[in-house]
Amino acid sequence: MPSTRYERLTEKIRESIANPKNSHALMHCMQRGRDKRSEALAVLPGGAAFRDEVKKVKDQCIENLPGLLDQFVENARKRGAHVFLAKDGAAAIDYVLRLAIARGVKTIAKSKSLTTEEIEINHPLIEAGLKVIETDLGELIIQLVDEKPYHLVFPSVHKMAEDVAEIFAKATGKPVSSDIPSIMKVVQAYLRPIFLEAQMGMTGANIGVAETGAIVIETNEGNGRLVSSIGDCHVCVMGMEKIVATVEEAMLMVLAHPVSASGQLPTTYVTWMGGRLPLGEGDGRAPRESHIIILDNGRTAMREDQDMREALSCIRCGACMNVCPTYGVVGGHTFGYIYPGPIGIPWTAQVHGLEKAGDFAPLCISCGLCKEICPAQIDMPMMIAEVKHRDAKTHNRPRADEVMMGADSAARLASACAPLANAAMNIGPVRSLMESVAGIDSHRKLPPFKRGTFMKTFARRAPRGAGGIRKVAFFVDVYANYNAPELGMAAVEALEAAGCEVVVPDQQSSGYPYIAYGDLDRARETAAYNVARFAPYAEKGYDIIATEPTAAYALRVSYPKLLRKSGKSKRVSERTYELFEYLLQIEASNTTTQSAQFAGKRYGFHVSCHQRPLGAGNGAMEWLTRHGAQVELIETGTCCGMGGTFGMKGGALGYELSMEVGKPLFTKFKESGVDAIITESSVCAIQLAEGTGLPLMHPLALLVKK
Amino acid sequence: MGSNPSVVDHFVQAFEKVSGVAHIARSSVEIAAQVVAVATEKNAKRVALANLPDNLTGAIAEACVAAGFEVVRDPFLANTLPAAIDQAQVGVTGIAFGIAQTGTLVEIATNDVVRLVSALPRTHIGVVAASNLVEHYDDAASQVRKHFQSNPAGCVVSFMSGPSRTGDIELKLTLGVHGPESAHAIIVVE
Repeated sequence: MPSTRYERLTEKIRESIANPKNSHALMHCMQRGRDKRSEALAVLPGGAAFRDEVKKVKDQCIENLPGLLDQFVENARKRGAHVFLAKDGAAAIDYVLRLAIARGVKTIAKSKSLTTEEIEINHPLIEAGLKVIETDLGELIIQLVDEKPYHLVFPSVHKMAEDVAEIFAKATGKPVSSDIPSIMKVVQAYLRPIFLEAQMGMTGANIGVAETGAIVIETNEGNGRLVSSIGDCHVCVMGMEKIVATVEEAMLMVLAHPVSASGQLPTTYVTWMGGRLPLGEGDGRAPRESHIIILDNGRTAMREDQDMREALSCIRCGACMNVCPTYGVVGGHTFGYIYPGPIGIPWTAQVHGLEKAGDFAPLCISCGLCKEICPAQIDMPMMIAEVKHRDAKTHNRPRADEVMMGADSAARLASACAPLANAAMNIGPVRSLMESVAGIDSHRKLPPFKRGTFMKTFARRAPRGAGGIRKVAFFVDVYANYNAPELGMAAVEALEAAGCEVVVPDQQSSGYPYIAYGDLDRARETAAYNVARFAPYAEKGYDIIATEPTAAYALRVSYPKLLRKSGKSKRVSERTYELFEYLLQIEASNTTTQSAQFAGKRYGFHVSCHQRPLGAGNGAMEWLTRHGAQVELIETGTCCGMGGTFGMKGGALGYELSMEVGKPLFTKFKESGVDAIITESSVCAIQLAEGTGLPLMHPLALLVKK
Repeated sequence: MGSNPSVVDHFVQAFEKVSGVAHIARSSVEIAAQVVAVATEKNAKRVALANLPDNLTGAIAEACVAAGFEVVRDPFLANTLPAAIDQAQVGVTGIAFGIAQTGTLVEIATNDVVRLVSALPRTHIGVVAASNLVEHYDDAASQVRKHFQSNPAGCVVSFMSGPSRTGDIELKLTLGVHGPESAHAIIVVE
């Protein structure tokens, strides 16, 4: 079972890589979404701070959901709406079907609603003899070819104008020329009679407002307005998590949604529907009615599940899929069941079952970018880790994932017999064996191991006097410990030169691979181990410094989450810094030593994904600039593809996908004309060296005494 | 709220940014003339009017008829709908207030005829008093609440920021896919 499951996924990934047309369209769409979002944030008062507001409001509303739900229902009923609480999709479908039959409905015009897609309402209605037509253009396109959404906001992004022309030629039986204005005329002529004749209009709701009992529908095309005003019977299917308390909170969501999705403020049309209105005057029409179906379908269980609850804060903006590196290559048909992209993993697990979520969850490389762009700051990486963790209880993980989780002990062994291990890594047959047995891709040039570890070197040093101005507890992690002890020592010496007393507590490596591959038991053990060793220092006023971005991320972001916000984990988190942001703070600003080695060279800086919520690499860039280097940031806004250890794994679910993800960034670096790339991440360095052919440097290397 | 020149300027800028066309009018005669000018430019045959004060409906209807357009207006008989409005090329509706920051017209409806007049014809013209423009998006919340409170039975509030748009084919911005392909605002300054 597990093997065919990953074979299927592997096959789909290889198909996507072999046919890049869809992926190119999708990546263009994603890049545009990110750029437009940044432009919008630049003019929005407070910029990205709206995310704090959204998170606060959504957290509160989910906390108060039962009360808000009652209030919404009461107020909607006061306005004459019929409200039905559907426990699952079948109940909702049954309600609509009965209603349609009772009202003699023949045609249902729908405006875009992911919630109705979640319960796959169209097919049973069509089977019952109803004509059900999607009126959002993107949704109509995929309905006509019976596909699922490729992207949450742009469901048909993979169809080019000529594809769309062909689809409508087939639907109308007349030739359609493939320029967009001609297609639009055909679409208008096709849909206008549907809008006018439909006896039932079906919509979703982006928001339910408890204080007014109104639903809010956001569209750009205006189809939501037509669908909710013409037919005498209006049906709204709304997920129960969409309810907010006040008009002000709804206004915030109305902005957050399109800003995050496409940089609009707000969508062209926002319809606040408080009850059903009459149409015209006098007799001649059936009574006008509005039915609001509030869907549970696993949401109550999600709310009660402390590891999945946050997913309810999703406002369906699609921003997470605009930044997800692997989604960009494979698209929503592979990276999704019905809900695509990063948030699609926890949502699928909760509403469509763990099995379906586990089918595509390994595509998440745990870069964490989704969390950083999410307007509700949902911790998707940790929830996805939880999905993988639960899924692993019934399925074996891919072998390579197990190996990567054991990288620390492997490194310990390799370091102990470094010359032998290094020689072996350069032998073809050995690498083939490593690939077939351990799943490590044989293309990868692995960093050599050093005989003495950082920990040993540090311990052997002559003792320094205590009593620096600042006290630092140093966190070293795998690479600087086993592969580059001299870099770790350079960091220590730089800290000491800046007046710090440095201690190196007993520690394990960060354990982030356990999160990435979903072994949360071992992740928690590691977090607890390190927190127990570092918290006493944090409590004595020591600052904790890490050089590896992922290690700093683990200490600052992941550990408190893993340890359920224990006091110790919070204290460790609060005192954790990246090396360079720290050095910048404490070095006297007159230490602008102009280093000769920088002369005449241009460096391109690469920000590792896990640095984004920390200092985004600004510390290192500023520090390098202060020391006379000409450094520029080169980025696509997404990942280099390595994804920690993901790209080290052999095959499609590793190396091949990883290199495909990295292509746009490789091109940017190659076209930039820089002499070398600087990055703080040891694994990004491996990826970029291979992808660009440029020399790679760690900023710490500049501290190493030659 | 009170009108001041800057809020009008801000609205006009933002409305144009979302592909809308803004006009300034100082009297009902000027409003009517601008409606006629737009209808003429669009080769309209029929103009639909809704949600406007009676005297303004009268003035616009009179000018439109004089210019040779057919006019549909209150009362709209239920059994003629939605066809009567679908056959209009221009729809004119009264707008409760506008938001300068986002170029948004906010229409309050207690009868869905109003929504059809602003949604079905290829051209929509919203008429808003300059004194009813608010500067900031956030200022709109209390207005929205007020309208819901004063219409307990049924109330639909529509934010409209420019013409109907889609990017669903190759992400290329295309106007007028279902609703109006052109959106006008007539801002009435006293």
